[in-house]
Amino acid sequence: MTYTYIKFESQTVGEKARQLLLSYGISSFLRRNPNPNRREGCNFALYVRGDAYKAFDILTKNGINNLGVETFRELI
Amino acid sequence: MIYLDNAATSFPKPECVLKEMYDAQKYCGANPGRGGHRLSMKAGEKVYSCREKLSKMFGCKAENVAFTNNCTTALNTAICGIVKKGDHIVISSLEHNSVLRPVHRLYEKGVITYSVARVNPLDDNETLRNFAKCVCKKTRAVVMTHVSNVFGTVLPVDKIAALCKAKGILFILDGAQSAGSHIIDMKKQGIDILCIPGHKGLLGPMGTGAMLFGEEITPEALTVGGTGSFSLSLVQPDIYPDRLESGTLNLPGIAALGKGVDYIKSFGGEKAVLRKESELTAILTEDLSVIKGVNVYGELQGGKSSNVLSFNLGEMHSEMTASLLDKYGICLRAGYHCSCLAHKTYGTQECGTVRVSVGIFNTKKDIKNLIFCINKIAKSENL
Repeated sequence: MTYTYIKFESQTVGEKARQLLLSYGISSFLRRNPNPNRREGCNFALYVRGDAYKAFDILTKNGINNLGVETFRELI
Repeated sequence: MIYLDNAATSFPKPECVLKEMYDAQKYCGANPGRGGHRLSMKAGEKVYSCREKLSKMFGCKAENVAFTNNCTTALNTAICGIVKKGDHIVISSLEHNSVLRPVHRLYEKGVITYSVARVNPLDDNETLRNFAKCVCKKTRAVVMTHVSNVFGTVLPVDKIAALCKAKGILFILDGAQSAGSHIIDMKKQGIDILCIPGHKGLLGPMGTGAMLFGEEITPEALTVGGTGSFSLSLVQPDIYPDRLESGTLNLPGIAALGKGVDYIKSFGGEKAVLRKESELTAILTEDLSVIKGVNVYGELQGGKSSNVLSFNLGEMHSEMTASLLDKYGICLRAGYHCSCLAHKTYGTQECGTVRVSVGIFNTKKDIKNLIFCINKIAKSENL
């Protein structure tokens, strides 16, 4: 299965993003990034129910720092 | 038993606070911000929820709320996290040792110099002038308590913040005795860093506190280590609050602190809390002042009110008075209250003071009982 999510450096900012999207009627959930950048280590992934790129635009407009949208294919 | 030592820590705690401590530990007691499993994420949501409540209450961004163990740790982080060698700091003459000691230690190490601005409880303009006189070219910050933990003196936050802004220096506020009972808006009032305990006016458990800071402020961490982010990097992350929150957070405490904030809101907010507490303090002041031999300190403050008041019974040492009152089941603190500067300012170094600090759950009956007992002691001592 393929997932699209928005990446965040910390859970705090990820949670803030989740709350903001909720105020726009967009549901999402936050998890650890299953496919982190190997040079940086841990970060967080916000899985958006719906259009992740639209959510990304909302976050950018509201000044919520993120590490961009990423697609990940689960191995199993 | 009558508890009147709320300036040390509030007691009792609301039931919802106690329940949340238990629930957080029992139902989602995983490490917040670390694991990716659902329990850890749920714990992280609880931490964020409290962070957001504090950010809304005090007017800053959620990521600029860094949790600490108490207000002292927050103040140490604020003070040590912003100074550079050669800086100068101004503090007030009513500071708690949680401000004085870190500042004095930096001075002893040759890192900074500092000045003490005298507070005139009856004249805010004179207080402002005294602060202005202390500011020099090297001044990096003013660190000031909002409300004296000994005398309940309310300091002129807005005036001092305006002075700091005009001089281009940082304003650090110690909200140990005001958070939860005085409205504080960092943005509106020009407070750069606010340090608060979670376990006093905010009604959370002991072991909680926070440092809140403005968007332009980038404090250094006192402690470095695991943050759950940038794990492959050898250096501390530069994102907040991660930079300031190394090691496992106090999940049950923080989650319960969030419930304490909810409780204050449901009570009617900070204004309602202050109204209740200052009404009781006013009754106490009035009743104490007619008892022969009682010296009340800090009662005249030009209409500004708080929940703290100090007194002495004649020449009796404050510790003796408190120990006699303890026999009647009255819990209050005596001595020097970790605040040598404040006692010097009010001239009470000899015997210290007996401090009464009213809380949200105290009643008129509590105050009347206290007065009855003080009267009894005063008569038996022939004051």
